[in-house]
Amino acid sequence: MPLRLVFRNLTNHWVRTLLTIGSLTVAVFLLCFLRSVLISIDSAVVSSASNRLISQSAVSLFVTLPLSYQGKIDQVSGVAGTTKMNWFGGYYQTQENFFAQFAVDADRLLPNYPEIEIVEGSIEAFVQNRTACLIGTNLRDNYGWKVGDRVPIISALYPRMPEGAWEFDVAAVYHSNRDNIDNNTLFFDFDYLYEAIEADQADGPEGVGVLAVGLRDPGDAEKVSAAIDQLFENGPQRVQTTTEAEFQRQFVGMFGNVPLFLSALGMGVIFAIVLAVLNTMLMAARERVHSVGVMKALGFVDRKVAALLVLESLTICLIGTTVGILLAMLSEKGLRASPMGVFFPGYRISGGTVVLCLIGAVVVGLIAAAIPASQIQRLRPVDALRSEG
Amino acid sequence: MALVPFSYNLRSMFVRKSATLLTIVSIAATVAVLCGVLALEQGFDSLFKEGGRDGILVFLRPGASSEGESYFPRDRADILIKSCSEIEEGADGRPLASAEMYLAVRLKKLDGSETNVPIRGVQQRSFDLAGEMMTFVSGRRPEQGTNEIAVGRGLAGRVQHCVEGDVLTFNTTPFQVVGVFEYDGPFRSEIWGDVDRMQEALERPIFSRVIAKMRDGVDVTAFKQRLEKDPQTPAKVMTETEYLSGQTAMLSGMLLALGAILGTVMGVAAVFTGTNTMLSAIASRTHEIGILLSVGFRRYSIFLGFLLEALLLGLFGGILGSMLSFFLNGVETGTTNWNTFTEVAFAFRITPNLLAKAVGFASLLGLLGGLWPAWRAASMKPTDAMRRQ
Repeated sequence: MPLRLVFRNLTNHWVRTLLTIGSLTVAVFLLCFLRSVLISIDSAVVSSASNRLISQSAVSLFVTLPLSYQGKIDQVSGVAGTTKMNWFGGYYQTQENFFAQFAVDADRLLPNYPEIEIVEGSIEAFVQNRTACLIGTNLRDNYGWKVGDRVPIISALYPRMPEGAWEFDVAAVYHSNRDNIDNNTLFFDFDYLYEAIEADQADGPEGVGVLAVGLRDPGDAEKVSAAIDQLFENGPQRVQTTTEAEFQRQFVGMFGNVPLFLSALGMGVIFAIVLAVLNTMLMAARERVHSVGVMKALGFVDRKVAALLVLESLTICLIGTTVGILLAMLSEKGLRASPMGVFFPGYRISGGTVVLCLIGAVVVGLIAAAIPASQIQRLRPVDALRSEG
Repeated sequence: MALVPFSYNLRSMFVRKSATLLTIVSIAATVAVLCGVLALEQGFDSLFKEGGRDGILVFLRPGASSEGESYFPRDRADILIKSCSEIEEGADGRPLASAEMYLAVRLKKLDGSETNVPIRGVQQRSFDLAGEMMTFVSGRRPEQGTNEIAVGRGLAGRVQHCVEGDVLTFNTTPFQVVGVFEYDGPFRSEIWGDVDRMQEALERPIFSRVIAKMRDGVDVTAFKQRLEKDPQTPAKVMTETEYLSGQTAMLSGMLLALGAILGTVMGVAAVFTGTNTMLSAIASRTHEIGILLSVGFRRYSIFLGFLLEALLLGLFGGILGSMLSFFLNGVETGTTNWNTFTEVAFAFRITPNLLAKAVGFASLLGLLGGLWPAWRAASMKPTDAMRRQ
């Protein structure tokens, strides 16, 4: 019987109920979005492989290492294998079509990155053909590229001399299920880049940006990275070798105060939700003074009358939150497939986010009902009955 | 017949204090959040745009969009400076121009995390060109040909060793900090030192850009076209204002997108809350509306009256929100400029223009929230309305 009353009260003012649920829905959606962006920023760090190190210049992100360094690092004990990972900084047709491209050692990529799985085409074709490239599934879906297509990429970092664009033949499509390698990347053979620069067909920094170093035993990470750095302690370019997680963290650090700022925004949103629901519950309580009087006169105890209001508030909050979470989950697919997905590789509504939102819904529901419920509880039946409608 | 008296609306807002206040505060929360994001964008944007001068020319390699991507071999920079008659001469008869080297280097922040700080190798002319925009807070300019550097005020207090008398090591060479400078523009987050010494320390025998004072009356557009096609030293030339304006696109775009998402989503929630409040206001005044209609007030004046009430809710919310956001004005923060991958320090900045937009947006939210309730009030039948208690 009380549940039916809750339902009746809610549907009696269905416009108000729907609007309140609506504002909760959008607010919860926003919270899920903000939290998932924060998680996404961290995702590459969290999903990093523990058996890989990254060697880069100790001086600057923009300084390359001499090519001779790779052979020396290969000799360090505990190193299973290395591959170049050279940022290419290009785009397709216009600058808005931005995604990551890396020049790599074609034959060494897969052994060092077992999380890359070929889903179309063949790795042999990628290794054997100098102009071949390997693309992620999202690039295939976003740009409609197929195995066998020739793709022009323009790079400001490595301008191609006469014609402007580099051309790559799609040899294979990969899928990665870990966030440290997203599905929006194009890999191609470093030799293609190197030979073009040597032949004066392209301009750009010599050397290699980053070397990924595979470990025989993840437990050796500290020892091996110290050994590598030691090799080049006195120049010509000092090297900084870190775990992959640490390497990714430097990019997260670049966001500075932004994560904190986003969290502050989230607090603002929560505050606004509490106000919206509180407003609704206050209205509901005010209109109900007369009927509360009737209920009390009929013998309903104070606590039960107040509980009805709390239940209403919780119902609104839980429905609004659930719909908001569902919407956010829909946005997940949309965002990851869209060109914006490049910036949020690990965007996902996690189980933690869902649980947090639901807990939040209960708390908001209780807070919003507290004041009006206590008002109602304190009403004397005689006074309540005297008031009109 | 005239409109419903303004005092009627104003007074009824006061009668329903809690609902009015809650609506105002929830609109204010939306506006404050939005203002926060926009103030961040404004602070960042104006640091760059206002730091530029129209009379100063910036030369980059063709195709480069920032100093980080641009480079000139030493001889080419010299030829470029000597060959351009558009460059003003100094009192000594030599061109008022300077070739600079720019690199984002890894440095540690005070909290131990890593950041990318731009260092600028300069010739003495760079200080002359900076002129009065650069003032030394403490210490002095670095001497030519020595391992001395000056650090921007934006770095002091954020980055390790950025105080006068301390030592910073680039690659393997130590440099001594001899001064701290203030600059009204992005240079305030940079480190300046002698270009030759820096090129040697970093093993980077190139220049990133040339900067020069333009003669009065030079046609920049024509100059641009001529230099673009120059057979000997092709270069991309632009005024400093143009150059700096182009350096903010990425971060500004991200912040504006965030602002748009927040504004829309929280705006929808605020409109729903506003609608709820107005519906409840109208429901409890049904009887009064009946009286108004029967004494001869037109439907449109009832409609406008309630719309005005909703507009006031929005307006007050906007004013309160702007006042809240004012606490952010001038707060210093730092984040990465994704165009150059370097960290810049800047302050939240609230401008009159931004405030006007915020109040306008809030009023719009109020109006949208009041539209349907006001229409509902205006279309009541006087007899039915009077019958309601």
